[in-house]
Amino acid sequence: MQTNPEIVLSLRDVAVTYGEGKNALTAVQHVNFDIHKGETFSLVGESGSGKSTIAKAVLGIHDTSSGVVNFEGAQINGKLPAKQRHALDRKIQMIFQDPAASLNERATVDYIISEGLYNYHLYDSEEDREKKVRQMMAEVGLLPEQLYRYPHEFSGGQRQRIGIARALIMQPDLVVCDEPISALDMSIRAQVLNLLKKFQEEEGLTYLFIAHDLSVVRYISDRIAVIRHGRIVEVAETEELFTHPIHPYTQALLSAVPVPDPQLAQHKQLIVYDPSMHHYETDKPSLVEILPGHFVWCNKAEEAKYRGELAGLAG
Amino acid sequence: MADAIDNERSIQALTEDKLGNSDLITDDDFVQVPLDTLASEKIDTPKYSYWGSVAKAFFSNKVTVLMLVLVVFILGMSFIQPLFSGYSLKDVSKINDLGARYNWPSSKYWFGTDQNGQSLFDAIWAGARTSISIGVIGTLITTTIGVIVGGIWGVSKRLDKVMLEVYNVISNVPSLLIIIVLSYTLGSGFWNLIFAMTCTSWLGTAYSIRVYVMMYRDREYNIASKTLGTPTFRVVTRNILPYLTSVIVTSASLSLSGFIDYEVFLSYVGVGLSQNVPSLGRLISTYSPYMTSYPYLFWLPVLTLALLTISLYVVGQNLADASDPRTHM
Amino acid sequence: MSEESTNKTILKVDDLSVNFQVRGKTLKAIHHVSLDLHDGETLAIVGESGSGKSVLTKTFTGMLEQNGKVVGGTIDYNGTRLTDIKTDKEWVKYRGKELATIFQDPMTSLDPIHTIGSQISEVIVKHQGKSKAEAKKMAIQLMTRTGITDAARRYSDYPFQYSGGMRQRIVIAIALACHPKILICDEPTTALDVTTQAQILDLIRELKNEYKFSMIFITHDLGVVASIADRIAVMYSGRIIEIGTCDEIFYDPRHPYTWSLLSSLPQLATKGDNLYSIPGTPPSLYADIKGDAFAPRNPFALKADFKAEPPMFKISDTHYAQTWLLDPRAPKIEKPKIIQNLHERMEKQMESDFMKRAETEDIADAN
Repeated sequence: MQTNPEIVLSLRDVAVTYGEGKNALTAVQHVNFDIHKGETFSLVGESGSGKSTIAKAVLGIHDTSSGVVNFEGAQINGKLPAKQRHALDRKIQMIFQDPAASLNERATVDYIISEGLYNYHLYDSEEDREKKVRQMMAEVGLLPEQLYRYPHEFSGGQRQRIGIARALIMQPDLVVCDEPISALDMSIRAQVLNLLKKFQEEEGLTYLFIAHDLSVVRYISDRIAVIRHGRIVEVAETEELFTHPIHPYTQALLSAVPVPDPQLAQHKQLIVYDPSMHHYETDKPSLVEILPGHFVWCNKAEEAKYRGELAGLAG
Repeated sequence: MADAIDNERSIQALTEDKLGNSDLITDDDFVQVPLDTLASEKIDTPKYSYWGSVAKAFFSNKVTVLMLVLVVFILGMSFIQPLFSGYSLKDVSKINDLGARYNWPSSKYWFGTDQNGQSLFDAIWAGARTSISIGVIGTLITTTIGVIVGGIWGVSKRLDKVMLEVYNVISNVPSLLIIIVLSYTLGSGFWNLIFAMTCTSWLGTAYSIRVYVMMYRDREYNIASKTLGTPTFRVVTRNILPYLTSVIVTSASLSLSGFIDYEVFLSYVGVGLSQNVPSLGRLISTYSPYMTSYPYLFWLPVLTLALLTISLYVVGQNLADASDPRTHM
Repeated sequence: MSEESTNKTILKVDDLSVNFQVRGKTLKAIHHVSLDLHDGETLAIVGESGSGKSVLTKTFTGMLEQNGKVVGGTIDYNGTRLTDIKTDKEWVKYRGKELATIFQDPMTSLDPIHTIGSQISEVIVKHQGKSKAEAKKMAIQLMTRTGITDAARRYSDYPFQYSGGMRQRIVIAIALACHPKILICDEPTTALDVTTQAQILDLIRELKNEYKFSMIFITHDLGVVASIADRIAVMYSGRIIEIGTCDEIFYDPRHPYTWSLLSSLPQLATKGDNLYSIPGTPPSLYADIKGDAFAPRNPFALKADFKAEPPMFKISDTHYAQTWLLDPRAPKIEKPKIIQNLHERMEKQMESDFMKRAETEDIADAN
């Protein structure tokens, strides 16, 4: 992290708007962040915060209304030549939240995992394709005899692993994981997280990980961005964010994480965030780098206050 | 305090053993078994096959099977019996044979005879053959065009704008009116009638397919396919249309009985088929004056028509239900 | 945790079994479950989907789906044998009035075309026989009590005008309107955002102290029950495999499945290590399960686990677990490292985390 890391994805002042004219609804705005090669960058926010909108903008499923999305040095938002778009689609893959809804129920596992291979002809021969699919299935812990089964025959965790297999067989550079474990049973979640981690270590993958719960992302992320109401309010390295959250919303989110310890849970204080505490009428806010690598959405007055608090902590 | 009672193993005692299992267990059973991680990944259920399950669901309903037998019987009779009877609508050779005319149904003439001394039994099957052919060919054309156009319509924004206008105009004109006008202009004849009937009817199928395609288009599994680089065409053919099997079968089964009914109505009002072609509609229209004097002449063709459309409809609807995977378990 | 919990049993489940008929096949949803709910306590039932936790509580209010049937065992509530109730008319005497349920999705319990206020006062009029004006006053009080600000004005709002968290508050208000003896919360916070979830949990805890009902709290997440439960029952494949006080389950779990549930809590994971994961998925409830239902996924499984279902072993007066590991003949096996010294580790983590910050702020405020 010390030497200048290679930036895979960078978003500058990105905004996404739904609808047109009077009915236009700004889902996200002022989105700024960089994702470094090989890291897991998490985007944490509650429902309606716009975290999935950002993911879809990165994937090109949603158009951005302003700002720049750069991937491996080239701008990828806006209208792209079909060929470039197609090439890009392979490099950015996605793992979906709901394994029941994101798999084609009328296709066999063989087809689902091969789908991307067919589209980019990433195999030499039919045997080569089958070999690749079987190898991938083994990697995600599925059995070879399940090749011609249909998604609904699998359990939730197995389906999610099919989803991982079909995305990672494309050998992408960036994988967007949209709440990949929140629809799964507790005892299954660890399997999926371990699998994602294993692939990252082996292939040097970069993850954009989306979650609604801070407790989940602590384990896997290198850096975390907290998003609320379409705005990123804080970005920091994981441990920094957990030990020194600055934005009051981040503090509220952290205090809401359930403590799995009966004695400590009794004394936990819940911090409730009140958005009306900010006075942004004249003193406009922006994303300020308050400590190296630690950004907070605040205005001048708040920045001074936060800096004062930090100095107090250090002293 | 956390592990305070860890060493108090002595206080453990069997509670009331309702299951009576402790007798089955010997000291040898307290050895650890290595975990077979793959064993818990196994799927025990037999392999799923879509069409196998459709067949199973379809044939599990007794009424459906009964109706299917009826459909097969009517189809068989209509397409085989006329080959042997040599029935011709224009045959008036027995018109002066008084003994052959107006016979009530009997063991010799199962369905009786008409004013020309023709056997109604022969007439009905020859007529049913024409009616069924019209229904089947019309349905094939409507469904094929409807599915293809609907599939494109659902994903193409540009086509959508044009097609919606076309649909709005045409769907507001009664389809019967269109068919009658076309039949008059084109003149009578088997293929002319089919053209008149299918000319606009595919639009309804296409529209309903369009609605479903739009509904499914943005589902997560299709977005997933897009992120895998799958072209829109394949998304429609591989991802969406297979989900619409049940919708397509429903619409086909409706249009099958619909076309048969149209033919009957058109023949009744005197347009459509040429004069020398027998059909259920023509029989009903020809024999309607005998409704009171020789009621069998009118009612037997009507009964055949009713049995045919009802059984086709029931079979079609149940096939549609069976092709919905939610009914497979 | 409430101190006033006595040992008087208010609800007693004895050897209950529930089967469902699904397309000619029998699904064994609940398998010989016995359970006591003490007066004034909060009992958490923890399990994954398909563990039978919701089905179990549905039998308490006669709300099993049409194809479900109690095939064995009894449920007694305050001297009434609930399993003998046949008609819906009889159930009405208990359902809502004595035992109220809060579901995961508040919209399923709210009527979209009636105002929030009228839905609360209707319940008050029906169950407490108050006049309409009185009921309205009480409804507004209840709304205020459940955290709806400006309740008098929001009385005539419709459910769609409320956020998910506020709707859940209203559902709680409706449930409390008839002063139930037992409140069943079926994953009341699962559909909510993290911050809202924490607020609703706080609210439920406060209301329990105030209204003094007993509570059954169903969840799939062991993490949320630490702050709310007096006792915890862990369910797997339609069986209660471990039951004990909150402290016993968290600090001294005995069943390998409870270990795995605890271990999979993300709060306990340390970066760099692999998460403790158990393979596979729960068994199909259509099949006959031989031995311990968890055995095929259990890294500590014994030969005995595959041969016969273990009996309930007693660890203390309040703590029971159904695993052959507790048999005196079994080898001694330590629980996974990740959940050893759980309290010490959590304490250390909280010290370094944001909580320390909260304390410093308190000091700053005091100054």
